[in-house]
Amino acid sequence: MSVHATTHDAEPAARSGRWQLPAVLALLAAASVCALTLGTPYVPLHRLPAALTAGDGTLAGIVVGELRLPRLALALLAGACLGAAGLVLQEALRNPLAVPEMLGVSSGAALGVAAPLVLAVAVPAAVQPLLAIGGAALGGALTLLAAGLGRSPSAVLLTGAAVAAALQAALLVLMVMADQLDLQLVYRYLLGSLSARTWEDVTGLWPWLLVALPALVLCAPVLSVLRLGDADAEALGVRARRARSAALAVAVVLIAPVTAVCGPVAWVGFLAPHLARRALPAADAVRWLPWSAAWGAVVVAVADVPARLALAPVETPAGAWTALLGVPAGVALMRSGTRAPKRPRRRPRGCSGERPPAPGRDPGTGRAVPAVRDAGTPVRRTPEPSAGAPPGDRDRPRAGAGAPAPAHRPEPRSEESR
Amino acid sequence: MSRRCTVLVALVVVCAGAELVAGRGMSPAAVGDVLAGGGTSTERHILFHLRLPRMLVALGAGACLGVAGLVLQSALRNPLAGPEVTGVTPGAVLGAVTATGLGLAGWESPLAVVVAACLGGCAGAALLWLLAGRGGDDPARTAVHGVLVSAVLGGLTAMVLLVAPGELGSVVQWLVGTTEGRVWQHWHLLWPWALAWTAAAWLLAGPLTLLRCGDDMAGAAGLSTGRARRLALLCAVALTSGAVAAVGALGFVGLLVPHLALAVFGADLRRSLPGAALAGALVVCGADAAAQLLSRPVASALGAGSLTLPVGALTTCAGAVLLLAVVRRAPDRTF
Repeated sequence: MSVHATTHDAEPAARSGRWQLPAVLALLAAASVCALTLGTPYVPLHRLPAALTAGDGTLAGIVVGELRLPRLALALLAGACLGAAGLVLQEALRNPLAVPEMLGVSSGAALGVAAPLVLAVAVPAAVQPLLAIGGAALGGALTLLAAGLGRSPSAVLLTGAAVAAALQAALLVLMVMADQLDLQLVYRYLLGSLSARTWEDVTGLWPWLLVALPALVLCAPVLSVLRLGDADAEALGVRARRARSAALAVAVVLIAPVTAVCGPVAWVGFLAPHLARRALPAADAVRWLPWSAAWGAVVVAVADVPARLALAPVETPAGAWTALLGVPAGVALMRSGTRAPKRPRRRPRGCSGERPPAPGRDPGTGRAVPAVRDAGTPVRRTPEPSAGAPPGDRDRPRAGAGAPAPAHRPEPRSEESR
Repeated sequence: MSRRCTVLVALVVVCAGAELVAGRGMSPAAVGDVLAGGGTSTERHILFHLRLPRMLVALGAGACLGVAGLVLQSALRNPLAGPEVTGVTPGAVLGAVTATGLGLAGWESPLAVVVAACLGGCAGAALLWLLAGRGGDDPARTAVHGVLVSAVLGGLTAMVLLVAPGELGSVVQWLVGTTEGRVWQHWHLLWPWALAWTAAAWLLAGPLTLLRCGDDMAGAAGLSTGRARRLALLCAVALTSGAVAAVGALGFVGLLVPHLALAVFGADLRRSLPGAALAGALVVCGADAAAQLLSRPVASALGAGSLTLPVGALTTCAGAVLLLAVVRRAPDRTF
């Protein structure tokens, strides 16, 4: 492992990561300004401080302080939770498509919240997150039990899709049972809406965050070890199964309270980690985690603006916008992430017979499967430049999201030698 | 072979009979009475104008979905393909909902709903094709992308529904798939469409059987694979759209039935295509009868007065179980 190779690898990573902070800040600022000023009544930017300090005195004060501000805060909090949870899930299952929606977690949580509402069972507000957590844990556990933990990513995803479909069927039965008024409520809730949420909803989230945040900090380093594959993680002293269950539990604790308050805001946990990885392709889970949370907050806050304003008298649910924009954007990110490595920046000298890149390599599963198989290979660092690295190996490290974190290992093993 | 066919036909007849006697309005004895020529006018109306068309629509839609699923799985050589996971059903739902919401179609112009559903189904399939690429060499990959496409289309449908709420209640029933309240008009619209496209599918049975063997072999046998596949896909989309326009998005029937048909009748589509039609009719009709029979105890258990289980909920649950089985059964080969 030459020093030269290391610095050369680190430099483009730093360069590509540099735009991340301004981008996040600019988008956050723009979304916040839009969220606070636009709407009826329009409050110009220079009047905002006055409106906020005036408090309940004026109409603008009430609208901004009691409606728009909590909504913005809730959007940021929920997005951060979902983004972090998405990264935890994807890293723990080593699968770039492992999102709450695909694992039955979101549907389970929604079922836990919607069932008492439709069946007219009075539930105190404090218990609602507990119900959501129960449902989310049920959905996730069902998926993982049915799929088996050690199975390939595609199988887990398909099992999750089946479990989610079954839970959705249960939800639809509930919706058929509901009367017209409940139905509108439940339908909006199920799509993930931030409308008419107050400070109480925001404060209800805090206790759960206090639980989840230390757990998140504790489990982040373990996640980057889990990336290497179960066998290598065990060799490094991590009890892989237990660590994975702990990570999944953390994800459930992050997702469930958010779902209890504003419904399953879809696909944020899919898009945010991919944005974070795209910005810092060379980093590992510890560094991705805060960025993933930040991107999640950005995504929800940005999606809430059209949700509020696009069809002005009618509010559209934010979850529909995140699904509409998030899925194509995430898939495009994954695709370009796999396409980029086909053009390595510097070809090693004296290499003939370069292996052609696999055409039409799938972003999702096509990369996910090698990610498991390659887990033991120290992929990011190329061997000595003078040795004429085989270009095939050089291709793989740039696989972006799917590539395991940089690992310093004594002896490089190639995939073929296994 | 013929014995299996006979058993299946007998099962379909039994299910159809169960569908006729299940339900709240009148007792099974009254049904026999009406069939014997007696009964009051209300009972005659219930049987001949509500239950009979409902049964026929369930049978027809099930047959359509079964054939469509088998055609899709054969054309794409993917055991996980089905109208639900290739974006066809969500697309058809989106098309129908949009057309209804924009006022282009409605109960007065039912044919427009079918055409809109067909266009939407084509759009959904095209979206998946754009996303997953022509390759399709990994069945699980295509299926996972299909779930993503369904998410996007579902978001669009939700948007349309919220902008033009209309009667959200009936639309939700239709989203999950129900045979509630289907009358003779639905049947008159369904059967010509279904018959035409099922005949087309049956004419394609030979080429499809070749396609199942792989493109190389099919090409060596003199088949123009691209054209055959396109025709088969068009046929599957049309059949699915017809079924969706009639009963809504019945979950997983198109995924579940072909496996059943192939297990019973073997891989020769000239036999298993009619088999898939029979099996689809059996599954949907049986699920509908079971849903009606189950509705009463469930309603009394939950204390809800007039609960009717939509048939789509039952088929979705059964299909989810089957999908698990399919995924688990082939651990090393494809996944």
